[in-house]
Amino acid sequence: MPAESTGAFRRGFWALAPLWLGVVPFAAAYAITARSAGLSLIETQALSVLVFAGSAQFSAVGLFAVGTAGAEIVLTTFLLNVRHLLYGVSLGREFELARRERPVAAFFLTDEAFGVAAASKERSFRFLLGVELSLFTMWNLATLGGFVLGSALPDPERLGVDLIFPLAFLALLVPLVRTRAELVVALGSGVAAYVLARSLPGGLPILVTGIGGSLLGAYLTRNSPPDRTVRPDDAAREVA
Amino acid sequence: MSFWLTVAGMVAVTFGSRYAGLVRRTELSDFWVRFLHFVPIAVFASLVTPYLAGGRGEAGIRVAAAVVAALAAWRTRQLWVAIAVGIAVFWLLRIPF
Repeated sequence: MPAESTGAFRRGFWALAPLWLGVVPFAAAYAITARSAGLSLIETQALSVLVFAGSAQFSAVGLFAVGTAGAEIVLTTFLLNVRHLLYGVSLGREFELARRERPVAAFFLTDEAFGVAAASKERSFRFLLGVELSLFTMWNLATLGGFVLGSALPDPERLGVDLIFPLAFLALLVPLVRTRAELVVALGSGVAAYVLARSLPGGLPILVTGIGGSLLGAYLTRNSPPDRTVRPDDAAREVA
Repeated sequence: MSFWLTVAGMVAVTFGSRYAGLVRRTELSDFWVRFLHFVPIAVFASLVTPYLAGGRGEAGIRVAAAVVAALAAWRTRQLWVAIAVGIAVFWLLRIPF
């Protein structure tokens, strides 16, 4: 690798480092939840390596715990990750990526990496890869650490480990709610999911309210111009 | 086996979303941009409420802990602070007086 490429990769890797502090506890909380849901270390780590999407992994292990069907988990994952389309469109315009570089850049693309890459002035594939692998490395190390920590806990059930799951999604939700329409969608979806979960099994309430709530939001904001500027700071803050 | 089949599906839809955006040349329509903006809000909210009460008759203190955690998330915007505060309040409220 020429010296300049190595430098760009390294700069990318360190550009994301300030976000490690937010990512490590999230990955650890995910691993602890996965462990108490009955997943093995290999299974917990495989999700972090292969799927590499915080909120989708977290929701999947929560749904595994209550015996949700695989198809519903996959659909929930799709719903949670389809926003990456927007990041891809934005990065595809900004970065000059060769055909063979695109699948690699896409595989490791996350909210945080998009936020950091879009905010920087560098536009090389090596830099982007450095940013993306910085998060990938920390996410997977913290997954491993969290799982080991989880097995050291004497009685995770009694400690209230299953409360981490709703708390994590609450903490992800709160910073996203800024406008009236966002508040209406958040409250409406929360109430609808609670009611539906009493009659519908597993992941169905999430899918129904996820789609219904998003339709409601699109309807409520139909007269305002769509916000096409994906703000990097927001994406980075999401830590999802 | 069904676990790994589910993982394969998760990988497919996640990589698909990431890759499709990167190779796409045309803009999404206004409707889809608005729709996608609300997806995380609607989905995150629906992952909170059904799992808040828990199954061991501690619904009251769990909801109270979540309210404090939400305030912490609002003030600090730090995920780990919100989770730590929520768990700490839960433990405190559990102590029998």
